[in-house]
Amino acid sequence: MAAELKKELYGGGVGGEDGKLSTDPEWADVEPVVLQEPEGALAAIAYPDDYAEAMAYLRAVMQAKEHSPRCLRLTEHIIEMNPAHYTVWLYRAANVFALNLPILDEITWLNEVALQNLKNYQIWHHRHLLVENYHPLIASDPAAISAFAASERAFIAQMLSEDTKNYHVWSYRSYVVSKLGLFDDADELAAIEGLIDKDVRNNSAWSHRFFLVFSNPAYATPGAAATAYDAGVPAEVVDREIEYVTGKIRLAPQNQSGWNYLRGVMVKGGRKLASVEGFVSEFVIRLGEERSEGGKEGEGEEGEGEDVLSTHALDLLAEIYAEKGEKEKADLSLRRLGQKWDRIRVGYWEWRRKCLEVGA
Amino acid sequence: MAQSFSQLPEDLRLVKSAHVTYIQSLDSRKDEYDYWLTEHLRLNGLYWGLTSLHLLGQPDALPRAETIDFVLSCQHETGGFGAAPGHDAHMLSTVSAVQILAMVDAFDELETRGKGKAQVGQYISNLQNHETGTFAGDEWGEEDTRFLYGALNALSLLGLLELVDVDKAVQHVAACANFDGGYGVSPGAESHSGQIFTCVAALTIAGRQDLIDKERLGRWLSERQIAGGGLNGRPEKKEDVCYSWWVLSSLEMIGKTHWIDKDQLAAFILRCQDPERGGISDRPGDMVDVWHTVFGLAGLSLLKYPGLQPVDEVYCMPKSTTARVLGH
Repeated sequence: MAAELKKELYGGGVGGEDGKLSTDPEWADVEPVVLQEPEGALAAIAYPDDYAEAMAYLRAVMQAKEHSPRCLRLTEHIIEMNPAHYTVWLYRAANVFALNLPILDEITWLNEVALQNLKNYQIWHHRHLLVENYHPLIASDPAAISAFAASERAFIAQMLSEDTKNYHVWSYRSYVVSKLGLFDDADELAAIEGLIDKDVRNNSAWSHRFFLVFSNPAYATPGAAATAYDAGVPAEVVDREIEYVTGKIRLAPQNQSGWNYLRGVMVKGGRKLASVEGFVSEFVIRLGEERSEGGKEGEGEEGEGEDVLSTHALDLLAEIYAEKGEKEKADLSLRRLGQKWDRIRVGYWEWRRKCLEVGA
Repeated sequence: MAQSFSQLPEDLRLVKSAHVTYIQSLDSRKDEYDYWLTEHLRLNGLYWGLTSLHLLGQPDALPRAETIDFVLSCQHETGGFGAAPGHDAHMLSTVSAVQILAMVDAFDELETRGKGKAQVGQYISNLQNHETGTFAGDEWGEEDTRFLYGALNALSLLGLLELVDVDKAVQHVAACANFDGGYGVSPGAESHSGQIFTCVAALTIAGRQDLIDKERLGRWLSERQIAGGGLNGRPEKKEDVCYSWWVLSSLEMIGKTHWIDKDQLAAFILRCQDPERGGISDRPGDMVDVWHTVFGLAGLSLLKYPGLQPVDEVYCMPKSTTARVLGH
């Protein structure tokens, strides 16, 4: 793709034979603006020569409000040296829009830069600006929207193959879903399921699935709070999600993401927690009992015979017991969490026990 | 649950004077590659360094007059501040500028030698999106709850909150809430401890903590502590000292700090120090930097580690500063 981009605009570089702008005939008409800092100023900066020269030319063309192919190439040159310099990016965007360049070309160029700068903020803001300007051009053309959605999904997949939990990529993904209206796009849901299959502990993928399913404007109540029941969500969607997440929890019972998702689904669907008691109990064995089955004789201590495959299950079980009014069992669950299975958060579990007393 | 820290090993202690030396040395590294590469963070960096020194009880370890000169040299006609001279104005550097001037008690110099408080307030309020209530980082419109928090932080310090539509801003934060009780960078984005801090602090400044599901959020935040005592930013991620601040300050704001093990967290932060040359890193044995240093120190301060000045959990500045400026 990149090879098709015009050399005049992309990858053409700046500078004469020695790489300096001062010896490049194309830049001979520009008087560089060198930054003067007072002697001994706090936080004064000593730049390497190439960078200082490029910045001096940048200041000159920015002051002259020049928008031209050479300016675009100058920004590329500086971005290569210092991709975090946000002023350069803003000026680049101004050039793209002033010259009315094909936005897809700029996105193609940006894809390469993004892959080399995974944690950079500016690439995402730049992309955002490009999409905001591109979207109105294709909004009324479903084929163009779906082609663009597919190419963005391919780019996102490539970025995630470098870091499956990159926060910028995931927040950009939710933006694209909203902007292009991809809530019912089967490929989007399939892509997320693929990522969860690869790593069931990918919290970003779980979070995105929740957004796709429960913020779908086809049925979700506009403005419904994320932690509140939504009567608009069809029961079969809630059933499907419970089925999906419980299957994934069985693969990794101590995975927080799955349990948080399950709780979220129960709330959205307005379901009683007790409706999943059977499932949750699979992960808690002989709670509080002294001896394991067939264990050796003798006096054991409380809980010596118990096994807890998931602290999150025991936590949820405590809530289920409380919901059913079985206060002693709820208290035992919370006590065992603080005493043995999750000691680092004993303060939290003790607080929960106090709440039981108050609630009784 | 007593906070004595007497359980910590002998050799695990805060190396205060090494940290002061480290921060003072940052300004003398101008020839280093990293220094100009991080130019876009210069004003933020000064805020991180200065806050560290204040928490260490050495507020005068950076020269006050030069500090004010530098901050004012970054200001534009619009009232906004760039990260360094020659950089475009940006919300984040503007907030850092206001925080620095608040710490060195120099709002009067902003009036006499700078463009004045009102102009700064104007710059910030112009960045509010009147449809959604959120704030952009600059005139180009990148939106992030970091900018919204920054706006409320700086405007409240300047006493100019009335310049913006606080109710609209609050609505936007509420829209960023997630099913797990946390908050993301924008509606629909994954919960992230850093964004949670910005959202909870913004709601606290706005006096709207009533919108927070404190129990659910507190549960999620306390789950960030992992074996070894450190805190992570999201489920199934590695621990990192910066989350000692984002997670802990959020817990503090909603009154749930006792839900995690403070001794173990303090020990984790202390293990991330460079005991000889000073500074704090993300994890034990890594390279130190000023960003992890300030959040490590601020975390220890919130944990009431002895010898540190108390930090304000909403502003990440000394409590003495916010008390003076906000009149608390």
